[in-house]
Amino acid sequence: MTLKSRAGSVLRRIWFFLAILGPGLITANAGNDAPGIATYSMAGSTYGYHLLWLLAVMAVGLVIVQEMAARMGAVTGKGTADLIRERFGVRVTAFAMLCLLLANLGTTVAQFAGIAAGAEMFGLSRYVAVPLAALLVGFIVLRGSYTHVEKVLLALCLSALSYVVSAFILHPPWEEILRQAVIPTFQSNPQYILAVLATIGTTVTPWGIVYIQASVADKGVDLKEYRYTRLDVAVGAAWGNIVSACIVICTAATLYVHGISVETAEQAAVALEPLAGAGARYLFSVGLLGASLLAASVLPLSTTYAVCEAFGWERGLDQRLRDAPIFYGLYTAIIAFSALVVLIPGIPLFPIMWLSQSLNAILLPVLLVLALVLANDRRVMGEWANRRVQNWLVGGLTVMIAVITVALFVLPLTVAR
Amino acid sequence: MLYLSQVRGRKVWDAWSRPVGRCADILVGNLEQPFPPVVALVLKDHGAPAHLIPAEQISELFPEVVLRVPREEITPYTPHGEVLPLGERVLDRQVVDTEGRRVVRVNDLQIARVNDHFCLTGVDVGGRGLLRRLGVERPAVALARRLRRRLPESVIPWEDVAPLQHGDPLRLRISRERISRLPPADIAAILNDLDRRTGQALLSRLDNETLADTLEESPPEVQVAALSQLAPERAADILEEMGPDEAADLLADLPTETSARLLDLMEDEDAEDVQALLGYPEDSAGGIMTTEFAWVPVGLRAAEALDYLRRSPDAQDDEAMYYVYILDPERRLRGVVSLRDLVMAQPDRPLDEEAEESPVTVDPYASQKDVAYLMAKYDLLAVPVVDSRTGEMLGIVTVDDAVDTILPTAWKKRLPRLY
Repeated sequence: MTLKSRAGSVLRRIWFFLAILGPGLITANAGNDAPGIATYSMAGSTYGYHLLWLLAVMAVGLVIVQEMAARMGAVTGKGTADLIRERFGVRVTAFAMLCLLLANLGTTVAQFAGIAAGAEMFGLSRYVAVPLAALLVGFIVLRGSYTHVEKVLLALCLSALSYVVSAFILHPPWEEILRQAVIPTFQSNPQYILAVLATIGTTVTPWGIVYIQASVADKGVDLKEYRYTRLDVAVGAAWGNIVSACIVICTAATLYVHGISVETAEQAAVALEPLAGAGARYLFSVGLLGASLLAASVLPLSTTYAVCEAFGWERGLDQRLRDAPIFYGLYTAIIAFSALVVLIPGIPLFPIMWLSQSLNAILLPVLLVLALVLANDRRVMGEWANRRVQNWLVGGLTVMIAVITVALFVLPLTVAR
Repeated sequence: MLYLSQVRGRKVWDAWSRPVGRCADILVGNLEQPFPPVVALVLKDHGAPAHLIPAEQISELFPEVVLRVPREEITPYTPHGEVLPLGERVLDRQVVDTEGRRVVRVNDLQIARVNDHFCLTGVDVGGRGLLRRLGVERPAVALARRLRRRLPESVIPWEDVAPLQHGDPLRLRISRERISRLPPADIAAILNDLDRRTGQALLSRLDNETLADTLEESPPEVQVAALSQLAPERAADILEEMGPDEAADLLADLPTETSARLLDLMEDEDAEDVQALLGYPEDSAGGIMTTEFAWVPVGLRAAEALDYLRRSPDAQDDEAMYYVYILDPERRLRGVVSLRDLVMAQPDRPLDEEAEESPVTVDPYASQKDVAYLMAKYDLLAVPVVDSRTGEMLGIVTVDDAVDTILPTAWKKRLPRLY
């Protein structure tokens, strides 16, 4: 092989990877949305570097779970809801969809809370910003110009990158960080358990599973080229987790050291001051707004699609309102409910953002168990069924979340006694 | 009327009221009948392997599953021909409603007793089926009655249903026949609703003509995906079958190597037409025109012209034939006559006297928008495309292709299915 042709084949490979790249990277980075930034800021400012080990564990969990979902999409060409319905029937599907709907509703509320918080940092009242954003989101999606907008919003989300830069400017104690990342530490109070659950629930999300499976299925990945998808998922998850860890490190190094536990978006923005100085609040709020708007336009729609797909209701934006009343009704209801919750006078925005993620984590095991059964079913997956290692890892993650959830509800009782 | 969900999982009793196991599934056969008969019941007993009980030995299905014979006299059923296990292959799956022309999900299956045997009569795709499966049909109906409403039933008769199998959606002959009979635009819409893999498998099992017509109605991604799955020879046949304008659009979307190879495999005449079209930008008159149009030479009388058209291969290929064009030996446009005027004219009347002698024409590089505007302004159903340099007539743009820019077809509005 001549050098030129070899270079050509390498280039072709890179090009191919870039073409196939996407779902994994987008999903993992969408993990750093408004509730994500809120959760990591809360975790870093309240517990310093103490939760870094959890991020390391969740990085592995994210790769394994997302890969499994992507593989199911590539092999079957079907969505998660579709597979659940065909394998488990109506009752299980109804339960799973209820969990998905609850989790996604919580997260959508968090996105609108992010929009409200971001807007208020610009001095814009949430009573103006939130209804406007709700209309904008509906308009974007229904007009079908989503793909262009997605690019703009993804670019806005890049401001999460500023955390990576900040993390290096701050010169944090790297040895301490490394030690905390490998040695787990525990505390036994409900606050801490909620924080642990939020961190889990914002990293591996029910909607992330559904989303990545749908986008891989829709892209129609050839199984011969599946390894590129796997690579995409792994790279995306790794990168997403690096950004998350940087958020924790930045908030720990700027806020935790001064004993400030973040309770508002204003405080969270302080973590970016070493990088942006007085502009930190704007950098932070632009990132928050971009990420929230992006997720607020993706989440309600993908939830509605999944639910309608599972129950066979007419769906899709090419349907007329009259033909698909449930589709449009559910979509509108999710957005309207989320916007209204945020508008309740005096509701604390920042805690909503991260507490919704604890709910995510509590509901996650339902979807994980179903996905695990599906991924092991050879009638569905053929030779692409799960291997033993994958089963142990996903199973372990599921049990871990279940145990922590039980601890959350049991612990207050034992303390009270 | 009873439903599969009311039978599945029920205990099965023999003629002496002894339990023999549970009903796991129901098999129907003779699928070409409008309401196929139940041929067997799948019996499961814990630990024991499942076995099939023939329909003749079943006495009742509801409220209890009761056999006609004692346990010892059950004769195992051996399946022959096409049989369909309802619970495993149809329940909860997507099927095509060929009457409503859409993809629906099976919530339940309706079974009826006809004379002495049971038949599959319909597919429940409505909310009532869902409620029944959730076990809350009765309270829901009672609640609805109290609110003075009726829960609508939506049961599709089985004769209008085409079941699909994952991986090989048209394995059942009956589905192949029912789906092939649909208009291509509806098949294309159904493809859009199916998951990618099933949709592609469905496409590749259609016959050449149906496939070509369906592809013409499908979005470019579906076209490319479907064509790249086929053997090159068959792909070339399909392209020949398509209108040259559609074929050219599709080839333009393929990688250069592939499209060159396919053009090579196509018959020379079709390949030339397509190649000529490939030279024009996609949204120009040349890009959307078709080279297949009906024409007659100058100097004919009405009756001779009609006679000429019947024998002309170009006229054969003209899909709509709103107008007949009069061309001189250099293929320059000399006049246009509408098919209506031609048919209504006295047989011996010279065609030139009927024809519009200086018709509206467009240049192949005119933009699609301008073409649409012209057609709307002059109320035309097709407009001739004429090379302004040589005066040669190249093709026609029909109204459906021209208005595509103004009124995008349904799929263009569609977002990626899920994101």
